[in-house]
Amino acid sequence: MSAEHELCDAAAIAPGEHRVVEVAGRQIGIFNVGGSFYALPNACFHQNGPLCRGIVSGTLQADAASDFAPQWRLDGEVVICPWHSLEFHIRTGRSLAYPERRLPTYPVRVDAGRLVLTL
Amino acid sequence: MSTDAPHILAEHRRSRLLDELFVVDFDVHINETPADLAPFCELPWRKALEALTRVPHRYLDIPAFAPNFSPWVGAALPTIERRTTVTSAAQLRADLDLLGVDVGVLFPDSFLLHALIKPPAYAAALARAYNRWLVEVWLAEDRGLRGALLAPNQDPVAAAAEIRRYAGHPLVGCVYLPTCCVDPLYGDPCYDPMFDAAQECGLPVVLHSVTAINPVFPFNLQEYDTLFSVHSLAHTLSMIANAVRMLETGVPVRFPELRIAFTEGGIGWVPWLCMRLDKEYSERRRDVPLLTERPSHYLRRMFYATQPIEEPEHMGDMATLMSLFGGEDCVIFASDWPHHDFDHPDKVLQIPLSDEARGKVMGANGARLLGIEVPAR
Repeated sequence: MSAEHELCDAAAIAPGEHRVVEVAGRQIGIFNVGGSFYALPNACFHQNGPLCRGIVSGTLQADAASDFAPQWRLDGEVVICPWHSLEFHIRTGRSLAYPERRLPTYPVRVDAGRLVLTL
Repeated sequence: MSTDAPHILAEHRRSRLLDELFVVDFDVHINETPADLAPFCELPWRKALEALTRVPHRYLDIPAFAPNFSPWVGAALPTIERRTTVTSAAQLRADLDLLGVDVGVLFPDSFLLHALIKPPAYAAALARAYNRWLVEVWLAEDRGLRGALLAPNQDPVAAAAEIRRYAGHPLVGCVYLPTCCVDPLYGDPCYDPMFDAAQECGLPVVLHSVTAINPVFPFNLQEYDTLFSVHSLAHTLSMIANAVRMLETGVPVRFPELRIAFTEGGIGWVPWLCMRLDKEYSERRRDVPLLTERPSHYLRRMFYATQPIEEPEHMGDMATLMSLFGGEDCVIFASDWPHHDFDHPDKVLQIPLSDEARGKVMGANGARLLGIEVPAR
């Protein structure tokens, strides 16, 4: 059963920043991507690394739309696991190396200037 | 509520099985610098190290010891910001405790490229300095760490002397053979004095490579543009190239008590090599008359470190793969901590093996190789 957890002032995590919080015994990464908040578990499905301690970055993609030249995309929307560099799309939890696999994502909303996480 | 960035290994949840198992990790890395080694180095080369202490030091580079060539474009795009070096025995012990490792076997960082160093007199002096430093600093007390003596391939006689010098040390567990760009390949008769010493002293020899592009086979990888390609090939091809050369010159026959281990190539190549060479042997046995048994007979008596462990969708396939070469008795766990592609022991534990086989792979095989007893638990 899901429950709401008040975390902190929304202003405490500026756009582009992220942090790890412990909520109900679980470690959750809270990300501010361009003013919108997202939450991911701090555990990579690969070897269980602390994914949300990684850097937030973009990634390189190449496809027909770019004439197969590498393009810098998803800037500020990708977190990279500090253990083995697996990339995850923060907004969706999708793994870039294994697109069929996603991390769970948890809703985060701003209520009267406070961040509220639903787990 | 928020937490400061903790130790990079502190937050994950590892399996309880790791507390029950005796885990021997056959590949962990310690960071050696010119400043570290200078006090342990003989003249005149000490002067070189003292001068080189002022050269900036980068991860796995050897600006201090010999030129390196790192054209990797992809590496210009940062992916991780974490510690990838270990600088003290206490720090390493703390790391290994968090990984659930009981005994770690120490290999260098920069000297993964030791075989490239010239002239031979400098290379041999550096190896002597490294071994002194290893024994006096890292192995000064028993912290569950075992040393791998650096054998300078540029001077096999000097390497043999190093092996004999330290063989009696209780915490020296094996001999490290620098395999990146080694020329000639191990198995060449010039290395016989080294293998003779290792066999006589009962110390296993452990091949360890690293990524490089160099004219020396199989590092002539200049065709490739990316680490994706070169890193995939360099480690494993070098293990294969040296294994084949050692079989070709009959090393396991001429040194029947010598134990040989291969690291950082994964294990997927082993059944392929067994089957490929056995097939060839059936037709060309007269090329290798020293080999009175099929090549796989000798390969099954060598040892193979797990890292980087292959990760097929179904880890059960790894149990099948291991069964093709008797892996239960010759596969040894390795993490490669703290390098960028280290394996957590839990990943290897995902291979569905019997309790007995799991105990061997995670610790007992490595302990046997090091000559240490598995404590009762």
